[in-house]
Amino acid sequence: MRIALLLSAGRHRVSGRPAPVPVELQALRLAADLAQTHGGQSGGTVTGLHAGPEIGPLTDALGHGLGHLVHLRMPAEADPAPALTAALEAGGYDLILAGRSGQGGEDTGLLPYTLARALGRPILADAAALAPGAEAGTLSVEQALGRGARRRLVVRLPALVTVHPAAPAPLPFAFAGLRRGQVEMREAAPSAPAPHEVEERPYRPRPKLIAKAAAGASAAERLKAATVAASGGGKLLVDPAPEEAAREILAHLRALGLIAPR
Amino acid sequence: MTDLALLLSLIVLAMLVIAGALAARRARAWRIGRAARVDWAAGLMALPKRYLVDVHHVVGRDPYAARMHALAAGGLLAGSSLALIGLIPALGDARLFWWLTALAFAAAFAGGAMVGRRRYPTKPARLSGGRFQILPFLLAAYSGGGFLVALDASLGGALRPLGLLGLAFAAIGGIGLALQIDRGPMRHAFAGAAHLVAHPRPGRFMDERATALAPLDLDAPRLGVAMPEDFAVNRLIGFDACIQCGRCEIACPAFAAGQPLNPKRLIQDLAASLQPGGTNAAYAGSPYPNARPVAGVGGPGLPIVGEAAMIHPDTLWSCTTCRACVEECPMMIEHVDAILDLRRFQTLELGALPAKAAAPLMELRYADEPGGRPLTGRTDFAAGLTLPLMAQKGEAEILLWLGEGAYDLRYGRTLRALVTLLQKAGVDFAVLGAEERDCGDLARRLGDEAGFQRLARANIETLARYRFARILTADPHALHALRNEYSAFGGTYEVVHHTAFLDELAATGRLTLGALEAARVTYHDPCYLGRYNGEVDAPRRLLDRLGIARLEMERSGKRSMCCGGGGGAPVSDIEGERRIPDIRMGQAAATGAGIVAVACPQCSAMLEGVTGERPAVHDIAELVLMAVEKAGTAPARSAQVPA
Repeated sequence: MRIALLLSAGRHRVSGRPAPVPVELQALRLAADLAQTHGGQSGGTVTGLHAGPEIGPLTDALGHGLGHLVHLRMPAEADPAPALTAALEAGGYDLILAGRSGQGGEDTGLLPYTLARALGRPILADAAALAPGAEAGTLSVEQALGRGARRRLVVRLPALVTVHPAAPAPLPFAFAGLRRGQVEMREAAPSAPAPHEVEERPYRPRPKLIAKAAAGASAAERLKAATVAASGGGKLLVDPAPEEAAREILAHLRALGLIAPR
Repeated sequence: MTDLALLLSLIVLAMLVIAGALAARRARAWRIGRAARVDWAAGLMALPKRYLVDVHHVVGRDPYAARMHALAAGGLLAGSSLALIGLIPALGDARLFWWLTALAFAAAFAGGAMVGRRRYPTKPARLSGGRFQILPFLLAAYSGGGFLVALDASLGGALRPLGLLGLAFAAIGGIGLALQIDRGPMRHAFAGAAHLVAHPRPGRFMDERATALAPLDLDAPRLGVAMPEDFAVNRLIGFDACIQCGRCEIACPAFAAGQPLNPKRLIQDLAASLQPGGTNAAYAGSPYPNARPVAGVGGPGLPIVGEAAMIHPDTLWSCTTCRACVEECPMMIEHVDAILDLRRFQTLELGALPAKAAAPLMELRYADEPGGRPLTGRTDFAAGLTLPLMAQKGEAEILLWLGEGAYDLRYGRTLRALVTLLQKAGVDFAVLGAEERDCGDLARRLGDEAGFQRLARANIETLARYRFARILTADPHALHALRNEYSAFGGTYEVVHHTAFLDELAATGRLTLGALEAARVTYHDPCYLGRYNGEVDAPRRLLDRLGIARLEMERSGKRSMCCGGGGGAPVSDIEGERRIPDIRMGQAAATGAGIVAVACPQCSAMLEGVTGERPAVHDIAELVLMAVEKAGTAPARSAQVPA
């Protein structure tokens, strides 16, 4: 199984120094485990791909279990998608892994989707565990949902999968792995600069929005508004009849005022 | 010379030949080790002093064992040598000569009896059984037999029947002893001598503490130790020097806590790994507590650590690097160095360190701080105090190294006390503030030598920018790194611990101390201050200035017990039966003290974590501040208040 891992230029959340993105190192662990234990008779290979001006401390991924790292060198303002698409197509990978979101600029969570569209491959978000599917050429993905829920999905390879922070911790760093590993530098074909300017600001956690009750409402109403919004609300239907499901959806949309009342 | 005496001399000669051949075979096994720079000539010259002074200084802590060993070893060597030179006709024909020989054998017999008395009827748990249990009989047979033959010879053959009996015993006992030389208890005799000659830390025999870890060449083909041949030759000799007396296992805090570490067993496993097709089956001492199952096979070219090898990884990560085993070892074996060499391979080559220990090392790599906290937050503890910054002053008499404890809320109180004291005494000091990185102690003890060297070089570069006379720190781990381990990377500093510095301030009258009446205090020595740096007097002197009743714990000074906080043990978190700090706090409570005085952020955190009713934990700096404040409220000062 040939696995590609997308690595973005991250920064440490406190020191702000260049650093690998933790969730991408978690993706690396999933890839390494998959390649090692379920690689099949040919064994698996994991290749790291980074598109950008500098490789920097991303070479540390070699210490976390990556055997081979490819650096597609390009100017900082260039759009990484075309170069990555070309490299991924040429590499003939069965599985492409990425973090669910990067930490800055153009490495946002959108890039895997852009690549999936360009490559014409399915994409599956938020994997917490990977295993080969029962059928050859498929992959069983455990998807992380809210509040610790998990959903098992099977995807036909080749595919793109993004990894969720709920995946197992990265393999510990081994200095000798970094020493042994190879970085292959390729000049990326010139591409147009990224389509739009993005304003970069440090991340600031914001308080969750709490639904407001109308002005002058009683304390009980304000409490109800706050708790109902926080608990998500809605109605859970398990395996409903199609008729009933359609009726419920229409009723919900009507309640939201999105379609005209009957 | 009687014919029996001649036969005794020939038996000794035969013993010598057998022992020589077996020892040579074992010594050949050592040659698989890496070459080490050893000054053999100087070592040989120093051997008598190292043996008679340094070794016996340690052995003498158990007076029974010292007398036992002096009689058994001295008598055996003297009797055998005399019997051998009895082959010279002029000596062999002198009755007085055989009388002397009989005396020497009698001494050996007394020693052998003491060996037996110690092991029978009940063997203390720390001593090994197996071949060791036969030893007193072999000693008694050989020395008793030798005595009878020599006595007979001294009387000109008057006791021939007794002499014959003696000769038979001497032959059985003597050859039996000689056969023990390569794998049995007698191995310590020749391997121990070789170990003392080629000791990897010769400074220990020259009144140095010699406790700094040797830097690792990060360009070496293999980092750390995976197989027996990765150890240096003189390390392998050291493992063979072990006599399995078990003093290390009594001292080991991890052993006491029921974690799977027993330093004696570890050394035996390493020695067994030297033998092709070696197994740990012959070992007959205490096991690793709660031992994790391992295959127990090894040999040259085979890995030492792993479930399919000799030593389980949990054994390696249980060590707190407190050096108590090294301090207690009469053969001067360096257990902690061996553990560190093995850890280095696990961490640097395999990345196989405990999962919880990997996270702090990762934070260190990108944030220079194991908790991933901002370096600017290091001075947050001093909110409300004026903390002069080196970056603003450029020079100061004292550079105050805050260390990792600064981030800890409890320990912040200690540092506040220290800073207040410095200000009261008018000391010209400054801190590095956000420029101070972690000293790298944690990384180094967890085997991450690459991380340590990076941090050491970065800190040395920062320190080179400023002018200061001395570095003051309250953290013995930082003190050890800065004082002893940075010098290998070009940073040589005079580093003083806050207990020594406050003692100095009090002695020169820069701090006026009041008396803390009625306080009963016991002092817990930090390993990295006491054992690693030999500083056990200054903290006690300082405490005595406070007018308190100072009580000593059962284990104190250089033989103190670890709090469990060193060597990355808190982050490795290997499961045991008890917690080390609970054991130590029990010892403190047993003195009847109301306060345990500490002098280290790790000890402070570990001992404060003990639950239930227990003595209060205070850093010495806090106690000194209390005494200074007491002095401030004394009547002498109230007279200055304007009327």
